[in-house]
Amino acid sequence: MVQINKECCKGCGRCVTACPKKCLELGGEMNAMGIKAAKYKGEGCISCGICFYNCPEPYALRVEK
Amino acid sequence: MATIEQKGMYKVFPRSGKNVSYTHYCPGCGHGIINKLIAEACAEMGLQDETIFVDPVGCGVFTYYYWDAAHISAAHGRASACATGVSRARPDAVTIAYQGDGDLGAIGFNNAFQAASRGEKFGCIFVNNSLYGMTGGQMAPTTLEGEKTTTTPFGRDSSLTGYPLHVCEVFNQLKAPVYIARVSVADTRRIMQAKQAIRKVFQIQKEKKGYAILEILAPCPTNFKMTPDKAAQFVIDEMEKEFPLGVFRDETADHVNPKSVEVPLVKSCMELFQEKDSIPAAINDAGFAEKRFKFAGYGGQGILSLGLTVAEAARLERRHTLWFPSYGPEQRGGSANCSVVVSGTPIGSPTVEHPDVLVAMNQPAYERFAADVKPGGTIIVDSTVPVLVEPPEGVKLIKWPAIKMAEEFGVPKAANTMMLAALKKFALTGLTAENLETALIASFKKKPELGEKNRELLRKAEAHE
Repeated sequence: MVQINKECCKGCGRCVTACPKKCLELGGEMNAMGIKAAKYKGEGCISCGICFYNCPEPYALRVEK
Repeated sequence: MATIEQKGMYKVFPRSGKNVSYTHYCPGCGHGIINKLIAEACAEMGLQDETIFVDPVGCGVFTYYYWDAAHISAAHGRASACATGVSRARPDAVTIAYQGDGDLGAIGFNNAFQAASRGEKFGCIFVNNSLYGMTGGQMAPTTLEGEKTTTTPFGRDSSLTGYPLHVCEVFNQLKAPVYIARVSVADTRRIMQAKQAIRKVFQIQKEKKGYAILEILAPCPTNFKMTPDKAAQFVIDEMEKEFPLGVFRDETADHVNPKSVEVPLVKSCMELFQEKDSIPAAINDAGFAEKRFKFAGYGGQGILSLGLTVAEAARLERRHTLWFPSYGPEQRGGSANCSVVVSGTPIGSPTVEHPDVLVAMNQPAYERFAADVKPGGTIIVDSTVPVLVEPPEGVKLIKWPAIKMAEEFGVPKAANTMMLAALKKFALTGLTAENLETALIASFKKKPELGEKNRELLRKAEAHE
């Protein structure tokens, strides 16, 4: 299951494009920087970790299997 | 429960007075992805305590805030030179230079290229995003033909600015590198290949196999003026056309490091610069009248070594001594001169503007320096030199047949020794005959048979009236 730390997300969308299950989207809650973070649609995550490796931020995403 | 999360990075990045957990990279930056892979490889391979990262100038500059390992920050373009020093000073460490294409491809190309050519034992991770990112998106050597940057607003024009520089291909002409590859972080498959390649670079350094360079194509959405997705697609569609991915060289399997020559360890600079039976330091003796010498002639007459011999004699006598060769523009015309100062007190300036003694072995030397000699001083000029200009008033002129005598003795090269004979005979140095002879012999340390021969010639020449 993907977990998003919205304060670290810059909203680039690399994870959204990369996710093979298309279970991420942009336009989530706004963080302190004023960026609408990526968010999990709530279902479909297979914990593959692809979003983590596509994300340029170390702590914006983590995936629990 | 297994977790996929960041390894090898600090939890908090204390940048600009704030403790944050996000990087300084722009949204969608390739550096961010690469930084994560590097930190992960370093941590997963258990190398954090052994790794020294050499950080660049450019967008990658702040990696010392991120990677939990040792860091050293290099000046712009100098990461490979710095990594050379680090890896040599700490041969047990895993040294990794992280450089961008402006840093490595432009200002630091020679540093990186020569380090690769020497086969320095570090890994170079070279991030190519086809432009100078941090400074605002200017053209770099790696900018594609037709690519718009702030300095090529109509697209890179190869008739004016040449063609993209293929760093891997150029480095692949060198003998020493053991691993040369180009990867990309434009999509998941490429990121996974990059991850393996980065681990390979660490592995090569862990096994001390030699120089490795990994070029990583990275998107720069900000300066491409594209969305992160489009920027990644640009890397695939355009950059990879110019910079094909692949392993250019992998000699890790059968690589054998060349055996290095054993060099005795030098413990201190004193040991390096002083001989074993070194002469004790100079003695302060205000009663000794300071002597300033100028030796001049043309290159090949032994002018500089004549000066050195006098300086050595002074050193043997525990005088403060300086020998100073001069490289003025006349050096190119074949002229040579040196200044020697012998003093009873510490010497301020090594330059000799007004010598007590001038030794001139040719006409230009005489004409250039004769007028500078102090009243009461002496000029020894070779007797072959036509003295067309009178020496200054109160200066004694000695015409001495140094060149002629050397030829007569059958050793034309010993004309400088003949001049030393005059200095000794007329007691112009204030140094003892014994020390002058010892210094003369010492100047032939590498050819001892010539030392004795020259002493013989020196004594013969002194007999000349």
